[in-house]
Amino acid sequence: MQNNHLQPVTAAQALVVCIGNELVADDAVGYAVFTQLAEQGLPEAVRLEYCGVGGIALLELLTGQEELMIVVDAVQLGDPIGTVRLWSWDELPVLEGGSAISAHGIGLKDTLAIGQTLYPERMPERILLVGVEGRCFDQLGAAMTPDVAAAVPLAVAAICKELNLSFIPNRETCHE
Amino acid sequence: MSAQTETPNSRTIRIDPVTRIEGHAKVFVNLAEDGSLDNAGLVVNELRGFEKILVGMEANRMPHITARICGVCPTAHHIAASNALDHACGVVAPPAAMLLRELMYMGHIIHSHALSLFVLQGPDLVLGLDADPAIRNVVGIVQANPEVAKKALRIRTVGQRLNEIVGGRGTHPVTSVAGGITFVLDSEKRAMLQSLVDEGKQLAKDLAPVVKQLVVTMLEKHPAMLTDWVAPSWNVGTVLDNRVSLIQGNIRAVDENGITQVEFPVQDYDKYMVESVVDFSYMKRVSFKKDGLLHDYRVGPLARINAMQQFSTEWANREMEEMLKLGGYPCHITLFQAYAKLVEMIWAIERADDILRDPAVNGETRVPVKFQGGRAVGHSEAPRGTLIHDYEIDEDGIVRAANLIVATQQNYAIINRSIEHAATSHVIGKSDDQALLNAIEFSIRCYDPCLSCATHAVGAMPMEISINRGGQTVKTIRR
Repeated sequence: MQNNHLQPVTAAQALVVCIGNELVADDAVGYAVFTQLAEQGLPEAVRLEYCGVGGIALLELLTGQEELMIVVDAVQLGDPIGTVRLWSWDELPVLEGGSAISAHGIGLKDTLAIGQTLYPERMPERILLVGVEGRCFDQLGAAMTPDVAAAVPLAVAAICKELNLSFIPNRETCHE
Repeated sequence: MSAQTETPNSRTIRIDPVTRIEGHAKVFVNLAEDGSLDNAGLVVNELRGFEKILVGMEANRMPHITARICGVCPTAHHIAASNALDHACGVVAPPAAMLLRELMYMGHIIHSHALSLFVLQGPDLVLGLDADPAIRNVVGIVQANPEVAKKALRIRTVGQRLNEIVGGRGTHPVTSVAGGITFVLDSEKRAMLQSLVDEGKQLAKDLAPVVKQLVVTMLEKHPAMLTDWVAPSWNVGTVLDNRVSLIQGNIRAVDENGITQVEFPVQDYDKYMVESVVDFSYMKRVSFKKDGLLHDYRVGPLARINAMQQFSTEWANREMEEMLKLGGYPCHITLFQAYAKLVEMIWAIERADDILRDPAVNGETRVPVKFQGGRAVGHSEAPRGTLIHDYEIDEDGIVRAANLIVATQQNYAIINRSIEHAATSHVIGKSDDQALLNAIEFSIRCYDPCLSCATHAVGAMPMEISINRGGQTVKTIRR
């Protein structure tokens, strides 16, 4: 993961967590970003993790050393397909009446609120969501839609910018 | 995922923006003209891309690729696929490999049941069904009970770590392969595993009375749960030496009265488990066929207890007896799915302990394999119920056809019956949408359906209920 020619990050320790299922169309975008970041290499101070469905497991990735956590995931927020948007933790809409019906349903907002209640000492100072607007989430084995695939380098660039890294454009490696 | 929608007959409720998409579900409640319940059910859109992605792949990849289908029960797929490949090659994995697969699996069960019990069902169990929606969420429960919540999440972590150490990777395990396991247990790993198991045991001792008390309180709050939320059905699970087993053994089916009707090796599953199309859902329902008759059946923790009535360890057996004393045998009370998860979680910890203390776990773990061409069927008992993988593999070791039977398909008829119970107690003659939503969600949550295996997620709404009367939709409630 180490790549010494990159600029050092501002945050002393940062964690980038990519969420998604690489087998399911646009849900693969988190995995594609993970793959590209891994290939490109990140400084030692940045830890890169892949987490299939996120949820409570996210809390286990936090050690208390991280100043910044960036979560990368596909979203459906009504933006044009392929839009890359950054949300700070404070901007995430307030949860109202949500309760999951399956283990898949525990969201980032809930997870982080639980983390802040139980393990405040582990929580990073800053939490960002890098969301990539997707369209197709129902086709196992399908490729990402072209606009979402094209957004992968944009998401990588946005992450690098947040980490104060000079982004080196890479060959597009996100299609499986 | 997130969405805000506005339709004429619906309420707008904003939901968490990055709730995982897999949880999408639609429920319908059909009322007759006089307002009485006609029927109700869950509409799920089947995700049937399995064949598409598996066909043409090397069979050796099945344990890895199928584990990636689902982020919630990857280990169940990982082991079912490994078992299928062993059968295809005509080999039996060495005893140490079977023990390590089982140990990995016990970690998976601990993690999954802890998540289901404490995180998903926690708000129901702590608050009952009719609590103010403003406080009904897992965050509120955690804030009100931080010490219990810490233990509950810690036991989940213990399970996940066991799974990860034996499975080689966190999210998707990789160590189980055709013919065994890819590593031999060393003393350093064994010590790490033992210390996790010891910690898990203590946590379970602290948490068990809490869960039992919550079940009792729930019954006091909702006495109808003992009398009306009851779904008599057949029960199916895996048996080895007459006890509950999760990764090897025959499949046993018992009837509504707990009488064993048939026991068979997994290779014969399609003689008994029959898929059929229902007109209101894309997911195929599976029924149990015997003597020309089709029976609805249940799989999962409660079904396994009903089918076997025995675990391999003392503490779990004591807890099971206490459970059956309260719920009767065979137990068809929907709420007792939660109790059964507690019993199985305790057993999983004890069984993990037994495995680590068994000298056989230190042995060689792999035998050579060669695909001879033909059918490969294997299974595991996923936390939610029996999972079957069925492949056709050619002589070059390439998958030519694949079929998977998942727990949610088998529980489908019983889930729908539980939804009808919820609708009867919370829809007819009542106008509280939130109470209705929650009662119906509760009935589904008891089965913790793994919708990503059985469905695909269209759109972003995790739950939509339509109430129809005399064929017309009178109300749509969305979460």
